[in-house]
Amino acid sequence: MASLLQPDRVLYLVHGEKKIRSSLSTLYFCRYCSELRSLECVSHEVDSHYCPSCLENMPSAEAKLKKNRCANCFDCPCCMHTLSTRATNIPAPLPDDPSKTAMKKAYYLACGFCRWTSRDVGMADKSVASGGWQEPDNPHTQRINKLIEYYQQLAQREKLERDRKKLARRRPYMPLAFSQHTIHVVEKYGLGTRLQRQRPGAPITSLAGLSLKEGEDQKEINIEPAQALDEVEPLPEDYYTRPINLPEVTSLRQRLLQPDFQPAGASQLHPKHKHLLIKRSLRCRKCEHNLSKPEFNPTSINISSECQVLLTLTNPVESITHVTLVGCEEGDPEDINSTAKVMVPTKELVLAGKDAAADYDELAEPQDFQDDPDVVAFRKSNKIGFFIKVVPQREEDGDVTVSFKIRHDFRNLAAPIRPSEEDDAPTEAIWLTHHVELSLGPLVA
Amino acid sequence: FACPSAPGGANIAAGAVVCVESEIRGDVTIGPRTVVHPKARIIAEAGPIIIGEGNLIEEQALIINSYPENIMPDTEGVEPKTMTIGINNVFEVGCVSQALKIGDNNVIESKADLGKNVILTSGCIVGACCQVNTCEVIPENTVIYGSNCMRRVQTERPQPQTLQLDFLMKILPNYHHMKKTVKGTSTPVRN
Repeated sequence: MASLLQPDRVLYLVHGEKKIRSSLSTLYFCRYCSELRSLECVSHEVDSHYCPSCLENMPSAEAKLKKNRCANCFDCPCCMHTLSTRATNIPAPLPDDPSKTAMKKAYYLACGFCRWTSRDVGMADKSVASGGWQEPDNPHTQRINKLIEYYQQLAQREKLERDRKKLARRRPYMPLAFSQHTIHVVEKYGLGTRLQRQRPGAPITSLAGLSLKEGEDQKEINIEPAQALDEVEPLPEDYYTRPINLPEVTSLRQRLLQPDFQPAGASQLHPKHKHLLIKRSLRCRKCEHNLSKPEFNPTSINISSECQVLLTLTNPVESITHVTLVGCEEGDPEDINSTAKVMVPTKELVLAGKDAAADYDELAEPQDFQDDPDVVAFRKSNKIGFFIKVVPQREEDGDVTVSFKIRHDFRNLAAPIRPSEEDDAPTEAIWLTHHVELSLGPLVA
Repeated sequence: FACPSAPGGANIAAGAVVCVESEIRGDVTIGPRTVVHPKARIIAEAGPIIIGEGNLIEEQALIINSYPENIMPDTEGVEPKTMTIGINNVFEVGCVSQALKIGDNNVIESKADLGKNVILTSGCIVGACCQVNTCEVIPENTVIYGSNCMRRVQTERPQPQTLQLDFLMKILPNYHHMKKTVKGTSTPVRN
């Protein structure tokens, strides 16, 4: 729920490489380290590629070949929405009898958002629903391919030289096709896994993705250097006086999304294939295990009276959980944002386990917890509402923020059962402490 | 029986399909083959509204000829201005139109908002949730889209919704009562 409403009201402190405060809906919990992890403390790995409109999964090798574009779907060059194929009936002469005309289906691409159609740029209607649309060819393709081959060969040559030298000498003043770090990595792991992580100071390896396959013959490739011309095509005479046809001028975004052509006129904007998205997997950096979602979920905040705040706590696990709240002490290094003092209940709060059937079972006996009515406002299956008292410290215009620590027990049901000699309890409880910050909103005079 | 048109009341031509649940106030003329859905509102406060043929006015659309903001309704000497709407226009669900002059073949998409000083020519498409309250004449075949009301020109005008109109003219009387039209037989009301 924190992700839908007021996501930044309740912040948790994550002890990672950086201290990050963010709401629980953006955090992950590592079952093996028993710690909270934020998106910056985990490594992101590419899992698979898929097209966001047709949801077709593509293996990474095929994705690379198609330049991370879907084969079937197109983007509107005008508003970047997904194009849909529409059909019209046009009269066309029958192949057998040219004098009679029959209705044939003609397909064109159209955008539902900005009403762009493929006929606007002069693309003829196709007779097949899909597969008939081609992107225009880049006139510089040949030159670019030749340059790529040349640089591949250069990179290969440098790699061999380096292997021969066996020295880890880095020459920062000379741009290299391969840096030492990425050679090592490319050989061992293949491309794409750890390549994104660059050590600070290492040169940018834009050509790191290139490598010749083993056993390929080294042919000598010579390229002509680019030639600088003295004469440039002059501007047309009415360049400054011709009135601008504003609808025809492309915006920067439209232009740059087609880096091959970068057309200045809207009548040259051709649709491009849709870009693929990736599904990523997250991996805890410390223990190298894949992560799972967090299990603990404090939810809504109701400000019911002036200085008493009602908090709701929900227990997502099926066993009873004990929660203690402790205020932050003076001089707590993590307590940097609070602008108000908070008095948390001193007694331990007990939350019943989550029982999916309890919602439907009306005859269930009410759970017998001795609740202090000053502390516990209500209790409903695995939820509890309790009061905390807030005393704003300063009369300022900013938000009232309080911080405290939640200490709760956690049983890791998914951890592998360690064989032990004694008869231990099947799951041991560990006590976890989190630093929580609550933003309660501005002070009312 | 022929129903006499009340002065200052709705003047609905034969062949138009206007549901009884729509609210039509003031001097409104509706041309033939126009469909007005239930809960549509056409309010002629500060002057008459003339709607042409073949228009499609969907639910919760509001076409209002209202007084300019700084003029009270009781001010003397204010001439009533007529709002004219052409043929084959589509007013989608929830749109608000105060434009005094709308041409033909326009599409005003859902929750669009047209101000008083806009004049739509022909073939314009005002995108969903776009507010157009500038004082200008929108050139032909303009498409206004996006949250920033970007504009572009399309090469063909939107097609008239003949299929949809025919379908609605057949189906709506089966489920709704219709307002009575002027001259000729009133549209039969089926129970």
